[in-house]
Amino acid sequence: MDYSRPATAERLAAEYALGTLRGGARRRFERLLPAHPALQDALQAWQQRLQALAAPVAPVMPPSQVWANVQRRLFGEPLPKPSGWAKLGLWQGFTGVASTAALALAVLLGQPVLAPASRPPLVIVMNSTEAGATIVKVGFVASVSADGGALTVKSLGELTIEEGRVLELWAVPGKGAPQSLGLLAGGKATVLRAALLNGTSAFAVSMEPAGGSLTGAPTGPIVSVGTI
Amino acid sequence: MQIPNSVEWTERSRELTRLLSRVALGDRQAFEALYRSTSAQLFGVVLRINSDRAQAEEVLQEVFVNVWRAAGGFDAALSQPLTWLTSVARNRAIDSLRRRAAEPSTISRFQGSEDDDGGERDLLDALPSAAPGPLELLAQASQAHALAECMERLSGEQRASLALAYYQGLSHAEVAEQMSQPLGTVKSWLRRGLLSLRSCLDRAAGLMSATKGVA
Repeated sequence: MDYSRPATAERLAAEYALGTLRGGARRRFERLLPAHPALQDALQAWQQRLQALAAPVAPVMPPSQVWANVQRRLFGEPLPKPSGWAKLGLWQGFTGVASTAALALAVLLGQPVLAPASRPPLVIVMNSTEAGATIVKVGFVASVSADGGALTVKSLGELTIEEGRVLELWAVPGKGAPQSLGLLAGGKATVLRAALLNGTSAFAVSMEPAGGSLTGAPTGPIVSVGTI
Repeated sequence: MQIPNSVEWTERSRELTRLLSRVALGDRQAFEALYRSTSAQLFGVVLRINSDRAQAEEVLQEVFVNVWRAAGGFDAALSQPLTWLTSVARNRAIDSLRRRAAEPSTISRFQGSEDDDGGERDLLDALPSAAPGPLELLAQASQAHALAECMERLSGEQRASLALAYYQGLSHAEVAEQMSQPLGTVKSWLRRGLLSLRSCLDRAAGLMSATKGVA
């Protein structure tokens, strides 16, 4: 079946969203989805249309056991005292970019970064998230000068992104909202700002509409994250 | 439950979007806030489709495990956060039905008593459950929305089959069984119902971007 044909995509997306697409056909649809933008568009439109049907469904309070089990399954233990970003290092969607990254890292480290000879720059490999692995396919590497005043970010390979979308770089603090560090042009960015590392626990790259996020927070998929 | 007015909706959407973007970055506190804010609604959605309480609780767990792992894939430019979350919940709930016995446990509402105005005479009122039936939910969903006008244009059979599929999570075959109708007939009701709903809703909502797929 040609899934890129609009009529086919429409019919399958409608049946998937309604729930009547079942069994092997449902699995097949889910497998094809990541590679077929037409299918994704059609599905999103159908989910939005049918969402109004969900409004009158009465909420039912789940037993507290459900939340306890979610935490046990994901973290092995309930949330400790305030420590919002503890999970960053264990990001679930790591892809196989690590070895590529290590290689690229060696290349990058060969280049001088503005830093006093006494302390080396801090280098952070930013791994693709699960979403990032299908959207931009490459990871990034960030290096911060030893004085914490200059940040360079580069993609680890050639970037191709959808027209009308841009990549935005974020400093993620241990507490509070992420701060935009600007857009990545051609997969690269240099940020000169004092105390870049103060209170920062990670850098992240998100996909945003042209011109960058309008809300001051990432609105698109997070494609890459690197903890410090 | 009423559909919130557009201002509330936007504020809630914005808050959920903010929480999802924090969750995507691994913020467990935001994850907990998201759970507190949406779990009851999503549990309601899951229970409609899979009424087995223990299984529904298991499904809700999977939903939030999935949300934690996939939050990075949520794109506020493409969908509303609640739509995204509801879709995750519905998908998981439908997947959980794979093990369900082929025999639906609900009473057939249409018992072959087809009449001229489209099988509207049914056994819904006789159902013992206090929970609103799929058609009642559909009526409520229609009330505060452009959906009302669009639903009006569907035939009784189209409306009933859509409601059974959406709210009970029934497959084509199960809807056919429930309505005591041949499979092909039910499939064509559903297909025409969906097509008519799409053109009507898109006209109403100005949601034109996805309408190029000509059926």
